[in-house]
Amino acid sequence: MTTSGLGNGADAQPADANPPAEPVLLPLLPPAPAEEEFDRLRALLFGDELRAAAAARARLAEVERLQRALPDRLLGALEATAASPRVAHALARPVAYALGAAVRENRQVVVDTLFPVIGPLIRKSIAEALRNLMADLNGAIESSFTLRGLKWRLEAWRGGVPYAQIVLKHRLAYRIDHVFLIARESGLVLRHESAPDLPALDADAIGGMLTAIGDFVGDSVGQAGGSALDSAQVGEYLVWVVQGPRVNLACFIRGVPPGGLRDLLQQRLEEIHAQLDDVRLEQAPHDAALAATWHETLQPLALVQAAGIDEGRAARQRGPSRWPLLLLLLLALAALTAFFAQRERWDERIDALRARLQAQPGFVLTGLDAEPWRKVTVRGLVDPDAESLRGILDRADLGEAKVEVAGTGYLSTDDAVVVRRVRRLLALPAGVDSSVHEGVLELKGKAPEAWIAEARQRAAWIAGVRRVAMTVVPDADPASTARAELATLADTLKALQVPFSNDATLAADGGPVVDDVVAAAKRAQTLADAAHARISFTSVGSNDEVGTDDANQRVRSERARWLADALAARGIGGGDHPIALGEDAPNNRRAAYLRLDVEASP
Amino acid sequence: MSVAAFKICMLGDFGVGKTSLVARFVRSTFAPKYLTTVGVKVDSKELLSPQGTPLKFVVWDIAGRSALDALGANYLRGAAALLLVADGTREHSLSVALNLLMQSRSVLPDAAVVLAVNKLDLVERWEVAPTTLAELRRTLPVFETSALSGDGVENAFAEIAARLQP
Repeated sequence: MTTSGLGNGADAQPADANPPAEPVLLPLLPPAPAEEEFDRLRALLFGDELRAAAAARARLAEVERLQRALPDRLLGALEATAASPRVAHALARPVAYALGAAVRENRQVVVDTLFPVIGPLIRKSIAEALRNLMADLNGAIESSFTLRGLKWRLEAWRGGVPYAQIVLKHRLAYRIDHVFLIARESGLVLRHESAPDLPALDADAIGGMLTAIGDFVGDSVGQAGGSALDSAQVGEYLVWVVQGPRVNLACFIRGVPPGGLRDLLQQRLEEIHAQLDDVRLEQAPHDAALAATWHETLQPLALVQAAGIDEGRAARQRGPSRWPLLLLLLLALAALTAFFAQRERWDERIDALRARLQAQPGFVLTGLDAEPWRKVTVRGLVDPDAESLRGILDRADLGEAKVEVAGTGYLSTDDAVVVRRVRRLLALPAGVDSSVHEGVLELKGKAPEAWIAEARQRAAWIAGVRRVAMTVVPDADPASTARAELATLADTLKALQVPFSNDATLAADGGPVVDDVVAAAKRAQTLADAAHARISFTSVGSNDEVGTDDANQRVRSERARWLADALAARGIGGGDHPIALGEDAPNNRRAAYLRLDVEASP
Repeated sequence: MSVAAFKICMLGDFGVGKTSLVARFVRSTFAPKYLTTVGVKVDSKELLSPQGTPLKFVVWDIAGRSALDALGANYLRGAAALLLVADGTREHSLSVALNLLMQSRSVLPDAAVVLAVNKLDLVERWEVAPTTLAELRRTLPVFETSALSGDGVENAFAEIAARLQP
């Protein structure tokens, strides 16, 4: 029994290298070491699995060996098929992704790696731009400062085309003689276009030599990284070589081409490379479609025309940028106009100020310095009695300009100033008018006598007064006037003799005289207070000399009484002014009158 | 339809007669001075292949040298065929030509190659043994040429044309 063999553990045989697939009964054997028994047991139980595991380990070892050899094999395969378009096509996408990932994740490494390439590219681009700029500048400067150049500029401005295009139109500043499309590697000419009327040439030889010279220059003086011949100048000929990865474009040019031509050639070359994507270079010259396209796009005249159109398009694109310049010019013009207008107004104001200052009595203008809108300095001789200049300066409308007056004193003989001086020195009273005409001082009006007396002495000594005409009357006070009028009234009343026909009978023409007496007496009563005087009335009778003295005295008394009564009846003589009675000596008048006596109040 | 053009490079030691062979074969456009300045002179010639097909050879006459430098290697790029030239009167020039061939293989692995042993007009002074030439003919087309008389020149180029035809 297998079970018994297993039970004593000594009947196991050495493990067979190729144990049978089926379990076998083992004979009873002397006991074996425990380890061997386990191995035997393992072989019995897991023989198939152990063999499968060994085979798997062997396969894994083989895979690992292949993996270790894979890089070398891959490199070898890539080197062997490097020129294969299929390999390039297959690698294009992963390489692009890998490059993108490298730029994102290891930018500095990429930058460091590309630095030797980027530097020359940038320098080349800048050098090309500067060369184009210099070429354009040279062309522009050559014709800018001539009458013809100005005429062309005007034509360019009106037509909205670039100046360079006009220059080209008039001068044909350059022409393209030959265009070569050359395979970069072999130097074989893929396409050759020449301007009409030019003799035939060996394009292949020229293309080859250009390539050889390019290689020669690149190897001799160029730097690593693809530097090559870009242009060469020989006499009036200029050779431009526009480099591409597969083909180059060479142009033989006479004259000074515009900077845009190189851009156009570069654009053409890029288009050609796009057309060559799926074509082998050696087959390209035999492709009828490509030949037709290249013939159309590389013809010298077509290039010249396209360069002109590109310049025009660029100019149109630049068109709007001209408006700011125009606007700036307009603004500058407006600013200049405004400036000159302001300056004109300022000058007008200064001229007006000068005229007013020159006309100002008592001021002699000796200088007027004006710094526009900043400062005005007035210098001159100033009479102290002249009118202040402040009014003139305020009316001059000088804005924020600072105004200074530098004056030196002097005495003016101007009539207007002399009048002011007279008024100041004589202290003219209100009732006196003064005027000066050609040095003649005229004073008229009323003034106190004391002033009149003093003015009469001083007026002739005033500077500028050549002669004095004084018609000033003394100016009386109201009391005096009243007193004078009272004196006049006293005389008037004495003259108003009231006539009598007989005794105390009023004569027929005596009524009006009585009325006049009443009016004068009333006026006297009114003036008494104003004259600060006491007045008194006396009715005086008189008679002729006929009759006795007694009779005459009686008649005189009666007549005085009659007049006093008549006046009293009409309001005269009451109150403060009683009418006394009096008599005259016989005077051969049958009349009576009212005597007025005035006595000054204490 | 334009004529198919092929770049043919002439390689050989100094003074083996490369320029004279080219001058015999083509009508030169450029003066020989380019050889001493730029190191190469390019000419072209249209011819008929043995099958009657018109071809154009753009012949790069590379200045003589005993070894291929970087500039010379640049000049070889894109060439469809090599015309090795040796001087029959100088056996060493044959070694140089073969050495140049070996070096050019790194640039032109698939180019057609023809060997011209020049100066046939001086055959009495030749150092190159006929047995050597016979041995070489087992691996290369070899032509005995004379730029002076023109013997063998056309044949050498015709052989190139034949080998370039598909």
